[in-house]
Amino acid sequence: MTVVVKSIGGTSGGMGPQLKADYAAGDMPDIFAFDGLEAYKEWEGVILDLSNEPWVKNTSVAFKYNSKIFGFPVAVEGWGMAYNADMLAKAGIDPKTLVNYDGYKKAFEKLDSMKAQLGINSVVSMAAAVEMGWVTAHHNFNSLLSNGLPYGDLSVVNALLAGNVDMQRLQEYADWVELLFKYADKSVLLTGNYDAQVGAFATGKAVFLHQGNWTDPNIKGANATFKMAFAPHGSMKKATDGIFVAAPSFYAINKESKNLALAKKFLVDLAGTPEGAQYMVKEAGMIPAFSTIKLNPDGQLSKSVQEWAAAGKVYSWNQYYFTGDFRDKVLTPIYNQFAAGKITKAQFIDLMAKAFKDNAKK
Amino acid sequence: MLGFQQFGDGHLQNYKGCKWPFSMEQGGDNMTKKTESRLVFWIFLAPVLIAFVMVMIIPFFLGTYYAFTNWTSSARADSTLKFVGLSNFISSFKDPAFFYSFGITFLYTVLNMIAINVAAFLLAMLVTGQLKLKNVYRVGFFVPNLIGGLILGYIWQFIFNNAIPSLGKAIPFLNFMADPNNLMLSKNTTALLAMIIVGTWQYAGYIMMIYVAAIENIPQELIEASKIDGATPWIRLRAITLPLCAQAFTVTMFLTLVNSFKQFDVNVSLTSGGPSTMLFGQPILGTELLALNIYNTAFISNNLSIAQARAVVFFLVLAIISLIQVYVNKKKEIEL
Repeated sequence: MTVVVKSIGGTSGGMGPQLKADYAAGDMPDIFAFDGLEAYKEWEGVILDLSNEPWVKNTSVAFKYNSKIFGFPVAVEGWGMAYNADMLAKAGIDPKTLVNYDGYKKAFEKLDSMKAQLGINSVVSMAAAVEMGWVTAHHNFNSLLSNGLPYGDLSVVNALLAGNVDMQRLQEYADWVELLFKYADKSVLLTGNYDAQVGAFATGKAVFLHQGNWTDPNIKGANATFKMAFAPHGSMKKATDGIFVAAPSFYAINKESKNLALAKKFLVDLAGTPEGAQYMVKEAGMIPAFSTIKLNPDGQLSKSVQEWAAAGKVYSWNQYYFTGDFRDKVLTPIYNQFAAGKITKAQFIDLMAKAFKDNAKK
Repeated sequence: MLGFQQFGDGHLQNYKGCKWPFSMEQGGDNMTKKTESRLVFWIFLAPVLIAFVMVMIIPFFLGTYYAFTNWTSSARADSTLKFVGLSNFISSFKDPAFFYSFGITFLYTVLNMIAINVAAFLLAMLVTGQLKLKNVYRVGFFVPNLIGGLILGYIWQFIFNNAIPSLGKAIPFLNFMADPNNLMLSKNTTALLAMIIVGTWQYAGYIMMIYVAAIENIPQELIEASKIDGATPWIRLRAITLPLCAQAFTVTMFLTLVNSFKQFDVNVSLTSGGPSTMLFGQPILGTELLALNIYNTAFISNNLSIAQARAVVFFLVLAIISLIQVYVNKKKEIEL
């Protein structure tokens, strides 16, 4: 049996169009990936119930809906504020203080005053161009949705989906966004792409990077030798001691596939054989989502995610409870306006609140 | 246009006179010959015709039909195909982002047409003049057209974001270029200008070739006569070259109009529709041209039928504009 893999490239937007074209052509793959609830709903009619598969008991992050399992977790990923540990040590900043807004504010101010000494362009490497909407309107946005809440708590998500905005939480979040934008390199912030953003951190031009552990291979590729790890986001006044960890996407089996048995076996083998483990952890460099896999990835940031997860200090990914339309077409331009300094923080808060209210009316 | 017709007629005469290698009968009557040539005509046309019907005609009508339904091309639990009348069109016209895309596309099209045609005409004048290595220049100006728009967009993104600021840092009196506030892709007005620069760079060489052909077809006697009469180069340009290129203008205007209006790939890779701007108090994408707006509506917003409705509107508007343009240019051809 030959397995045909269709790779659609690294962009977050490439998957949907390809699947839609395949579906319209009656050429849906046997196994395909989806990223969360909204995408699940899009394909609900063809996704097979996998509740009785042998790998289910070995993972805690499979995609569940109505207490049935529908998605095989591709990996575990996490993001927080990646920091250059060497530079923090040089500046005398203890990463343990980086758990809330005040901790970050102090650290950013200090680092900003030491720019020349540290040889940096800016404190944070942050991207807010429209092309990088997934950094602002997906990942950063999630701080508003899940930071400081128990894992899997959807109270804030559900309130926002209903159009009820917790202004206090939103205001604290806006302070955090403002802080990140203020201490970011302007050109990376407004026009930089993924390479520019990760590159600034990897080449020691920024102390912090607002990205996840998937940057490990890119940072390694830039020959970075400094120590690095993740610190929590400081989107609240209270301390939030954890980073955002979850399965970024899930494999679904196409109900209408002619190779159902083989497709199931493929996933069983991926989770349960040494070859599968070798591929996921060593070749793809991902953090395994299954307790049966004992291999560890080599990247420093991936290891940091594993440590946070092992300590149970994790917050969920809730951004996928909002549609792609809302995140990419409504929120992305709001963040971009704020980053470019075209709107004030008060306007940012108003526009965000209005966006949630309009979204609830749809 | 005229040249093409002449070629066609000549061809027709040729094949009337010759014998077809696969014609079995010798000197059959006129009737069979006619049916035969008609058959040959359709056989030769068939491959193109079938492809055209399959990938253009059928999808066109299918798409127009989908524009009036709630089609999603996904497996939603509640997805039964329903006829929804004009609601896709109505919701499109209520969307400020769609309106903005229309406006910005018109603006882009007008500016891009002017920029490309002026650049192309100047280049054509240059490479038809007394220039050493003019064939090398012709190839050089044409080459950007061979690079795919997506790659081109990424190359130019690098130029605007990295190369230009680096240049600004290296050369003292160009310091302003290194200022992040002056990055072309960081503001939507200059980002639109950047798209025009890239569009011109890509397309001017191709349009230049059409002008080159037109300029070289101008009878030398006219030029010589004007020189003897003491006409300055400027008068020669205005009174001889421009009027005699009128047919070329019809073609180049049409090509640049349609191409600019349909711009998609450079838009995606260079700006992705950003940076943002405000319209009616709502932040929206600032350089999202119509084609990209339709694409995003379909694949980011997952509204395939609304996108289809927008595509129908897009088609109608473009068809009307280009028909007007060809009509006006044709009239000008006669006047000049």
